[in-house]
Amino acid sequence: MTIRLRDLAPCFEGVIPSIIATAASDGTPNISYLSHVQLVDDEHVAVSNQFFSKTAANMRANPTAALLVVDARNGEQYSLDVRFQRSVESGELFQEMAVQLRAASAQIGMADVMRLRGIDIYRVEAIRHVPSPIGKAVFLPAASPQLSAAAEIVRRLSEETEIGAIIDAMLDGLRDRLGLANSMALLMDPTGERLFTIGSRGYEHTGIGSEIAVGIGVIGTAAAERRPIRVSDMSRVRRFGSAIRTSATEEHRTRTIQLPGMPDAMSQIALPMVAHGVLRGVLFAESAKRLAFSREDQAVLAIMAAQAAGAIALSESEAVESVAAPASPPDSSPAGRPFRVVHHAYDDSVFIENEYLIKGVAGRLLIHLLRRYLQEGRTEFTNREIRLADELRLPDYKDNLETRLLLLRRRLEDKGAPVQLVRVGRGRIRLALAGSPLLNDEHR
Amino acid sequence: MWLDQDLANFMSSPVMIILGTSNDALQPEIGRAVGALVRLDGEIELVLSAWQWPGTLSNVRANGRLSATFARPSDYVSYQVKGHAVVVPPTEEHRAGAAAYIESISAVLAELGLEREVSAPWLVNRDLAALSLSVDSVFVQTPGAKAGQMLQGGQ
Repeated sequence: MTIRLRDLAPCFEGVIPSIIATAASDGTPNISYLSHVQLVDDEHVAVSNQFFSKTAANMRANPTAALLVVDARNGEQYSLDVRFQRSVESGELFQEMAVQLRAASAQIGMADVMRLRGIDIYRVEAIRHVPSPIGKAVFLPAASPQLSAAAEIVRRLSEETEIGAIIDAMLDGLRDRLGLANSMALLMDPTGERLFTIGSRGYEHTGIGSEIAVGIGVIGTAAAERRPIRVSDMSRVRRFGSAIRTSATEEHRTRTIQLPGMPDAMSQIALPMVAHGVLRGVLFAESAKRLAFSREDQAVLAIMAAQAAGAIALSESEAVESVAAPASPPDSSPAGRPFRVVHHAYDDSVFIENEYLIKGVAGRLLIHLLRRYLQEGRTEFTNREIRLADELRLPDYKDNLETRLLLLRRRLEDKGAPVQLVRVGRGRIRLALAGSPLLNDEHR
Repeated sequence: MWLDQDLANFMSSPVMIILGTSNDALQPEIGRAVGALVRLDGEIELVLSAWQWPGTLSNVRANGRLSATFARPSDYVSYQVKGHAVVVPPTEEHRAGAAAYIESISAVLAELGLEREVSAPWLVNRDLAALSLSVDSVFVQTPGAKAGQMLQGGQ
């Protein structure tokens, strides 16, 4: 049977010392104990490099090495053919190993001796079970490297306070730590009928602001059922969302932003983001490979979706409680060219310089802020005063203002619009204007 | 090369013995010895299980390159010797030495809290073979500032 690196997780606990052998360019071997070998992923291990200078010199001359690792539970030995990839002297993995090494060294009274200088990353090219008199190797259920990755992603997103940053931490983590290149996060519309894209990774266009109806396709179904949906072979499944790929000019005509997506996706997975019993959104990932997502992937992503939902809910409620900002003095007029803003009241769609921007609540919000700017000369606003504004007229509005503002901010960024929304602290935003807006409100 | 008496005594005591070899493509290989007969004239006879470590044996047969590190489990004091080796037929002395070594190192490890069942897969005497190593150089391998420093020998 093929041994996977993850099956050897108990060998990397630092209980039984591992061994490394290298060879100089003339073939002279060097053999040494190692204080720490760490599992990086299914193909790589990291080796602490504190003092074995001969090993380091050999590695530069001849990058092939052998490692012997031992399962601390039963003493079984595994021989790894490895190839040196690179040395790392900082970063998350380095810090993690440095802390572990400090703790382990302090235990044996060698804290000063065992200072971590760097870690060497090796690719594992072959794994062999060393013959054992005890019998065949028994793999007890091993910890999954995905679980460690999930812990790291969750740690990062829990550091964030703002919804956009929470979403970014999750999607970056999916890409960088779980190898999921194509993903998106959608948040629930206050009406409960639609989800809108608030962040994506790996697509030609971000699709910020694109919408999908609850109940439609993989994403909509995950939202409607509030259950994970996993499709392992899309070839016979009709693509969700719009089958016709809308172009930019289509965007202006239809007033619809195209949902990002892989034209050749074979596997898709969608996880509901629920917190406080309320559906907040959907996390989605896809791949061109068949059977790209295992049950384990699903479990890991479900944890992430739930964590993000909780963090988002908390961010929303904290924004509601935030205090009013001091009134800012009127700003001087922006220097740039004036730009034309057209508002269609029947669907609150907004066009800037004839390009479709957004519709619905987010559109109404922008118009509201521009009107206030034109009337009062103010560019800074608190969420509280926006929430209390009569003309925005939304009963269930308060719990979604943060996400609406985030959507508007990201869509403006995405379009490179001459008006941008800048977050200037919790519960406060500022309009950054490149020129004076010429607001045309007459299209009713 | 003559070996220091203290060093010889250390290598003959219950210490872990790990072996490094390499094949002609410079791929290194790891093995373990179960006992060493150390002679002061710089010949060390290392006993190992041919059944468990066939790669070590074939590398020595092919090019003779052999390094061995002796490490004391209780305090990590370690020395590495390097030189050239040949495969020699195992003798009664080798067999008796291996049995005594396995018994004594198992006891040392057990005292350090490692159960005999866990160390058993490293201390195998099935199908014994012996390597006669002519030491060219000796290095300090104990973790610390002197690690890697040459103690004896060299060009």
